[in-house]
Parts: sequence; structure tokens; C-alpha cells
Amino acid sequence: MSPGVADRIERLRWEFDRSFAEPVRRHDEEHVELLEIGAGGRPYALRLAQTAGLHPDRPVTPLPGPLPALLGLAGFAGAVIPVYDLAALLGHPIAERPRWLVLASGLPPLGLAFHELHGHVRVAAEAIVGEEAGEDPRGCVRGLAGLGGAARPIVDVPATRAQVHALTGHVRTEEAGR
Amino acid sequence: MAGRTFGAKLAAGFGLTLALTLLMTTTSVLALRYVLVTKDKVVEIAASTLVEAQSMNVLIERRIADYRAYILSGKAEWLNATAQDRKDFLDQVTRVRETLDDPTAIRLLDAVSAAEAKHATTIDDVIAKRQKITSLTSTAQLSNPQAKPAREALQAAIASLIARIGKIVATLRKESSDRATYAILFLLGLGVVLITSAAGVAWRLSRDLRREVGAAVGHIQSSSSELEAAAAQQASGGRDQASAMSEITTTISELLITSRQIADSAQRVSKIAEDTADAARTGDATIDQTRASINAIRAQVDQIVQHMLSLGEKSQQIGTVVDLVSELAEQTNILAINATIEASGAGEWGRRFAVVAEEIRKLADRTAGSAKEIRTLIDDVRGAVNTTVMATEIGAKAVDAGTRQFDDATNSFRRIVQLVATTSEATREIELSTKQQTTAVEQVNSAASDTARASRETEASAVQTKQTAAHLSTLSGDLLDLVGTRGH
Repeated sequence: MSPGVADRIERLRWEFDRSFAEPVRRHDEEHVELLEIGAGGRPYALRLAQTAGLHPDRPVTPLPGPLPALLGLAGFAGAVIPVYDLAALLGHPIAERPRWLVLASGLPPLGLAFHELHGHVRVAAEAIVGEEAGEDPRGCVRGLAGLGGAARPIVDVPATRAQVHALTGHVRTEEAGR
Repeated sequence: MAGRTFGAKLAAGFGLTLALTLLMTTTSVLALRYVLVTKDKVVEIAASTLVEAQSMNVLIERRIADYRAYILSGKAEWLNATAQDRKDFLDQVTRVRETLDDPTAIRLLDAVSAAEAKHATTIDDVIAKRQKITSLTSTAQLSNPQAKPAREALQAAIASLIARIGKIVATLRKESSDRATYAILFLLGLGVVLITSAAGVAWRLSRDLRREVGAAVGHIQSSSSELEAAAAQQASGGRDQASAMSEITTTISELLITSRQIADSAQRVSKIAEDTADAARTGDATIDQTRASINAIRAQVDQIVQHMLSLGEKSQQIGTVVDLVSELAEQTNILAINATIEASGAGEWGRRFAVVAEEIRKLADRTAGSAKEIRTLIDDVRGAVNTTVMATEIGAKAVDAGTRQFDDATNSFRRIVQLVATTSEATREIELSTKQQTTAVEQVNSAASDTARASRETEASAVQTKQTAAHLSTLSGDLLDLVGTRGH
């Protein structure tokens, strides 16, 4: 066993033991949970609070239809959920079949498929660059997150649902309410 | 006479001259003999026949005288004398007849006999008359008219006979003189022929002497000159040969030294070749040991390959396990994320649970990272194993190739051993041959020295030959002067 590995083991053990010695921490508002993903070969981020679950390699039954972004239907806990290709929704579809799938929180249920899962991070709230208030948001992207020196666009799940609804011809309640 | 030797020609010329001389001598003797015989005959006839005939005349005259004396005297003495005279005359006639062979003379002798007989008859008549007369007074008593004619006839007959015989003698003498003249002329002709022949022979001999002997002497002179030139050339050649032979002797001496050095070198090479053969035999055992070592290496390499393949399989299995661990870490990560999601909607306890879930997620991340590292390490190990296997297989092939090359090298080495043995044998032969060559060179050196001496002797004798040839050339010139063909 090399010394480097032994040091790593020792450090891991120390950190593991130390985690039990630390006082109880809480996830407060200063931090945002983000999923680092890749869709269509480009890096993006998702707010974990806007999702209801992450699943790999789910079987998706294709549906015939005019929407290329609609990959098909998948079953989750007794419910049938439409699955859309996030890369196609973002405007740069690729031929590769997406492996990962997140369930959007809220109703109606929606599955968003993407190609790569890069990791799960907690970032400070100030690290996220928001959009100016009053600006008319267009598309699904809301803000940027600086992660590891690189900026990732944050895909907003409700905006994405709204875009899906627009594609499918539904009138969104928020727009109707305006 | 062409093709005969000059001696034969000389002998033939002298023989011809001698034969002609003999012929002339014989002819002269014969001619003289002939002349002598004819003259003797003339003399004989003249001496006997003519004299005999003349004596007939004398006898008849004496009878006439005796007859006349009887007539005158009447004595019987004269009568007897007359009778005796007639008898002598008849005897003389007989003798003359014996000597005669001319028919005319014989006829004339017969006439003489007849006239004598007639005369005798006449005389007998007279005598008979006288005997009757005792006293003779006159001769007229006894006259007989026939007596005188008978006597004259008889004398005329005798004279005719004598004249005839004289004529015969003259004829014979003339014939004899003619024959002597002929003999002289013949001898003169023969002498001319003899002189001509002798002159011809002398001319011919002189000409042949000039032509043949002169040509031969000329040839001798030119040959002498050539011989002189050749002798001079031979002398210079002998000189050159002598100097060349001395150079050859020097070279052969150097060659002898070189040959001895070669013999020494060959001996050393033979020794080295034997040492090489010994070393090669030792190397044979080393080759066998090396072959065993190579086979052991081959077995070890095979084992290494097997171990490496086994190691590759094991690392593949480890990789599978690491994949499993990775999968588990990923699933743990997903569960932790989902737990975090669930916890975010579960209020205060959810928040505390989220902390635990985060720790679990971190652990899963670390596990995944370690698995990735292990995967990388295993990939490295597998790559190294593959590389090692490939290298080992290459090494095995190299060992095989090396084994084959070593077999070739072994065969080459054995051939080298054989060749070294052959070389050793050949070197010994070279050594022996070089020693023999050295001996031969020594003999050649001795022979070359002898040859050089012989060349010097040849040169000396060539100089002598040159002088002799010059002398011979001078003698030839003198001989040409003697023969008289100088300048021909």
C-alpha cells in the first residue's frame, strides 16, 4: 500500500469521525442544492429543490407524435409520466439517447431526460447570478451558477414545464392569470 | 654430271682423259704394227720373190754360158754343168712359184717354164749335133735357126715376170705407204679428239670448281659471318644470362629466406590451428550447456507468459468487481440525491436527514472516485500485462529464433570445428610442402649457380667461336681468291 493511499485512508477516517463530532448543521437559505448535468453536450445545472427524483436508465416507451422533444412515457410509482428531452427543449438536440431522468416537482408530473450527471453540489446563494427583476424571461434558463471557475446556466424546471405546455398547446394558468 | 661430287667429277674427267690416252696409245701401236707388217710384206716380196726372179735370169744366163762352153769345147764337163744349170733353174722356178700368189705372175711363170722348155729342146738338139761332131771346125755346123728366138723368148718371158713382180712390189709399197698415211691421219684425228676432250674436261672442271666450290666457299664465308654474328650474339647473350643468373641466384637466396620464414609461420599456424581445434572442442561442451540454458529460459518464458495471462484474467476479474463497486457507488449517489430531494420537503428533520444524505453522497462520490482510480490502475495493470505478455511472446519468439539461430550457430560452430581440423591438416601439409619447397629452392639455387658458371663458360666459348668464325671468314675470302670467284 502506498503512503498516499494510507494518508487518504487516514484522512477519510478522520473526516468521517469528525462528522460525528460536529454540532448538528442545518441547510439554511444561504445555500442552494444544484445538480450538475450535461444535456446535448453542454453543461447545465438544475435546482434540486425543483425536482422530485433522479433516476437512471429508466425504460421509456416511445409515443408517436409531432413533437420530437417528447421521448415517450415512463412509469413511476404507478403513474405514467411524459418524458421530454431536455436538450431538445433547450434547442440543441443530439441523436444520443439520454440516460438520466429527473422528475419535475409540482403538477402535472413531468420527466426531463438528460445525457450526463456530473454531480450534486451545494453552492452559496450569492454564487448564483440571477436575472434582473422585471425582465421578461424567455426560454427555460434562469440565471448562472459559478461552479469551479466555470459558469453553468441554471435550467428552471417550472419554465421548462411552461415551455412544454406551450408546445403541447395548453394555456398556462400563470399566463391566463396575468 | 650434275648432282655428283666434285671428286667424282674430277675422277670422271681424268678417267675420260686416261681412256682417250690409252685408246690413242693402243691405236698408235696397232697402226705402227700394221704399217710394219705391210712394209715387211713389201720388203719380203721385194727381197725374196724379186731376188728369186732375178736369180732365174742369172741361172739362165749361166746355163747359156755353160752350153756355149760345151759347144765350144765339147767337153762333158760343160755338158754336165749345163744339165746342172737347167736343174737349178727348174728348182728356182719351183721356189719362185711357191712364193707367188698373183695369178698374172703365175701365168707369166708358166710362160717362162714353157719358153724354157722350148729353149731346152732347142739346146738339146744342138747338143745332140755337137756330140756327133768330134772335131768342130765351125759353129755354123751347129747352127739352129730356132735357137735364138727361143732364147730371146725365154729371156723376154723372164723379163716380163720380173717386171710383173716389180710392179707387184711397187703396188704393195704404195698400198703400204697409203695405209701408213691413213694411220697417221687417224692418229692425228684421235689426237685432236683427245686434246679437245682434255680441254673440255679441264674447262668443265674449272667451271665446276669456280661455280660449285666458289659458291660453297661463298656460302662458307657468309655462314662464317653469320656464325661470327651469332657467336657475338651468343657471347652477349651468355653475358646477359650470366648476370641474369646471378640476379636469379640472389633472388632465389631471398626466396629461400622467405621460404624458411613461411615454413616457420606455417608451423606456428599449425600450432594455432591445433589450439583452435582444442578450443572448438571445449566450445562444443559450452554449446551444449548453453543449449540447455536456452531451453530452460524458454520454459521460464512460457511460465511467465502463463502467469501473465493468469494475472490478466485476475485483473479482469478485479475490473469486474470494481465495476460492481462503481455501480454500487453510483446507485448510492443516486439514492443520496433522492434522499436529499426527499429531505428538502420534510421540514426540520428533513434538513438534518439531508446532512446525513450529503455525507452518504460524499462517501459515494469518494467510493466512485476510488473505484475510478482502481479502474485506471487496473487498466494500467492490464495494459502492462498485455504489454508484458506481448513482450514475453516476442521474447519467446526471439528465444525460438535465438534457438534456431543458436542451432545454426551450433552447426556453423561444428563446421568451424571440421574446417579447423581441415585447416590444421592443410597447414601441416603446407608446412611439409614448404620444407620440401625450401629443399627444392636450395637445389634450384645450386643449379642456378651451376648455370651461371656454365653461362660464363658459354660466353668464353662464344668469344672463342667468334674469333674462329672471323678466322674462317678470312680463310674463306682467301679461298675465294684462290678459286677466282671473288666478287661473284
